[in-house]
Amino acid sequence: MAREKPKPTPGSRSKSGVKAKGAKELAHALLYLGPSLILFLIFVFYPMVKTVYLSFYLTNPSGDPVVWKGVQAYLSLLGSGAFRNSVLVSFLFVLYTVPGTILASLLLAVLANVKLRGIGVYRTLYSLTIGVSVASAATIWMLLFSPADSGMLNYWLHLVGLPKIGWLVTTRSALPSLALMTVWMGVGFNFIVLMGGLQSLPEEIFESARIDGAGRWKQFRHITVPLLSPTLFFLLVVDTIAAFQSFGQFNILTLGGPDHSTNVIVYSIYREAFFNSRFGPASAQAVVLFVIILVLTLVQFGVVERKVHYQ
Amino acid sequence: MKKRQTLKILSVLLVLGLLLVTGCGTGTTKSGQTAGGPITVTFWHSMGGVPAKTLTSLIDKFNATHKDIQVKLVYQGSYDDAFNKLKASPDQGPDLFQVYDIGTRYMIDAGLATPMQNFIDQSKFDLSQFEPHVLHYYQVGGKLYSMPFNTSVPVLYYNKTMFKAAGLDPNKPPLTFAEVEKDAKALTATSGGKKVYGFSQAIYGWFFEQYLARDGALYVNNGNGRDKAATESLVNSPAGVQILTWWKKMIDDGVATNLGRQTSATQAAFGAQQIAMTIDSCGILPNLTTAAAGKFQIGIAPLPRGNDATDSGPIIGGGSLWILKNKPKAEQEAAWKVVQWLTQPAQMAAWTVGTGYLPINKAAVNEQTYKDFLAKYPSYQVALDQLHNTPENRVTEGGRIGVFTSARATVENAIEQVVLNKATPQAALDAAAKKITSAIQEYNQTMGIK
Repeated sequence: MAREKPKPTPGSRSKSGVKAKGAKELAHALLYLGPSLILFLIFVFYPMVKTVYLSFYLTNPSGDPVVWKGVQAYLSLLGSGAFRNSVLVSFLFVLYTVPGTILASLLLAVLANVKLRGIGVYRTLYSLTIGVSVASAATIWMLLFSPADSGMLNYWLHLVGLPKIGWLVTTRSALPSLALMTVWMGVGFNFIVLMGGLQSLPEEIFESARIDGAGRWKQFRHITVPLLSPTLFFLLVVDTIAAFQSFGQFNILTLGGPDHSTNVIVYSIYREAFFNSRFGPASAQAVVLFVIILVLTLVQFGVVERKVHYQ
Repeated sequence: MKKRQTLKILSVLLVLGLLLVTGCGTGTTKSGQTAGGPITVTFWHSMGGVPAKTLTSLIDKFNATHKDIQVKLVYQGSYDDAFNKLKASPDQGPDLFQVYDIGTRYMIDAGLATPMQNFIDQSKFDLSQFEPHVLHYYQVGGKLYSMPFNTSVPVLYYNKTMFKAAGLDPNKPPLTFAEVEKDAKALTATSGGKKVYGFSQAIYGWFFEQYLARDGALYVNNGNGRDKAATESLVNSPAGVQILTWWKKMIDDGVATNLGRQTSATQAAFGAQQIAMTIDSCGILPNLTTAAAGKFQIGIAPLPRGNDATDSGPIIGGGSLWILKNKPKAEQEAAWKVVQWLTQPAQMAAWTVGTGYLPINKAAVNEQTYKDFLAKYPSYQVALDQLHNTPENRVTEGGRIGVFTSARATVENAIEQVVLNKATPQAALDAAAKKITSAIQEYNQTMGIK
């Protein structure tokens, strides 16, 4: 199929004129982008390149590359049961936290999206955890999770006559316990975003749905969720990346244990680099994590985004 | 013309941005001594809570009595955090640096410090008053690279009141693994729907190292890495297996409970009388005594030994003070003055009283403050006796490797595997030894150690 070239409309500039304009626009764009580009170059792109570079070496404890190893770090990652475990644990952690956080926040946001006196108090309460840093949250939950009788959660279980739980001490319960704490922490941010999304939905649609006899569930299922889908999609992407990159709670509460049951990739990288001083293998893990998150985000945009309803 | 102007602005902005960013890094390299004024000594430490308060009050006293030297105390988080910070950028380091026991080898190999021995020789500083067992831990070839400071030994804490209630003699604490097990059985009981366990100890690699030494076994080869650089881990020796077998059996029998890695959890459980015996550093006696006040009496015993163990003793733990070598001579000399002052009897006594760390200057025990402390906590003497009763040899001097942090974590994981029924003691320790050995060899390779 031969396509006809669009004819230049009369009065349009000459080719060289267009080029000059393009260069000028580029210069302008660079001018405005400059400061952030410099910061990105120094704090993101340079470390990224350096990470890839280091992953081909064995370093001394100060991080200077000493022995060229080629792709050996990657090969040993592939064969390493410990790394496969870290990947699995990371995915499980995402699975435990992301849907839970979004669902819990959605429920709270729908509940809080009514016009009542004093509803602001609830809205503030539900969004409070956004102001809590990971470090303080982890310290609070350390007291809650304490396996001793003085641990709050176990004390409450005892009060209602349930047996004690090992929380962070057994391999089976450690990751779910951390997920519980992470969901609690993530609800604040998710709630605020969803609340904003809900508030921007046009009231008329709900009104006409009510006139047509749609109940609360039908309204929620067929109007709220589709209209809110851009917000939900945004949270899905952001929460997934955040879950993959979680670090503080692991560092403070479990140190990756017991028996590596909470040794997510990020924590494993940290441990390998800053405790074992093996910057080469740690960099290789970082590169793999980057690829995993990249692929996953692309998949999310390719598959899930089709279901998103943009107004 | 306009285009060129835009480019000019652009390039100026680029340069400014660069300056701004790189500017963040400089400025802190030099400690900014003011001419003619007192010399500032920056002192990085990792003491939190009560020890931090004690250290601050000591340094305040130093600053008040020394017009020519002013010490700036900087808390750098945990030992690991501080150590990693220095590893990452040695040039941004302090004058005086508190490093944990197991960082000694790396500090020497990396050549970051001026050996303390240089200062000691030059001012003919008298070391004869120092506890020999503590000196031996830090000495390399008879040379001291750092000054021992906060020092502790592990001990067995037991609840005397519960001993009495269980029909045991509160003045006869268990001394061997078998006795611990027997007493733990007698102390385990269920009352009011709550189970009381006879024993519990945190999953802490330091305890394993201490038990190993107590049982006369080396941690690494080549004389614990002291005759020459270690090349192989020995944690999977029969002594190591025996420790974990004993540890696991008590948990399986339900006379001990696993409270995870945090020593704070076992301390809380001991204070709440949920467990009757525990292992911990002698340094926490004041804390435990506060927790027990009005509820029960605390007893202290030496670290239990394996059943057929020969006469040996635990190593030590804690930290020492290092003077970094890339600082001006005057600052290093000033830091040395601070070190000398801190280790004097009066200061050491105040340090022990305020923290529970051992008085490593023998003359400190003659200070009135220490005598008052001992009158209040008479059982503290057990810890000091244990230090004195330990024979000096390669085992009790402790292992010296550059990758101790990761080795300790590897052992902790092995303990978890055993306690949580994922592996037998032998299998877990074999795997751990293999991992530690390969870490040691990689370290030796990258540091150019033959």
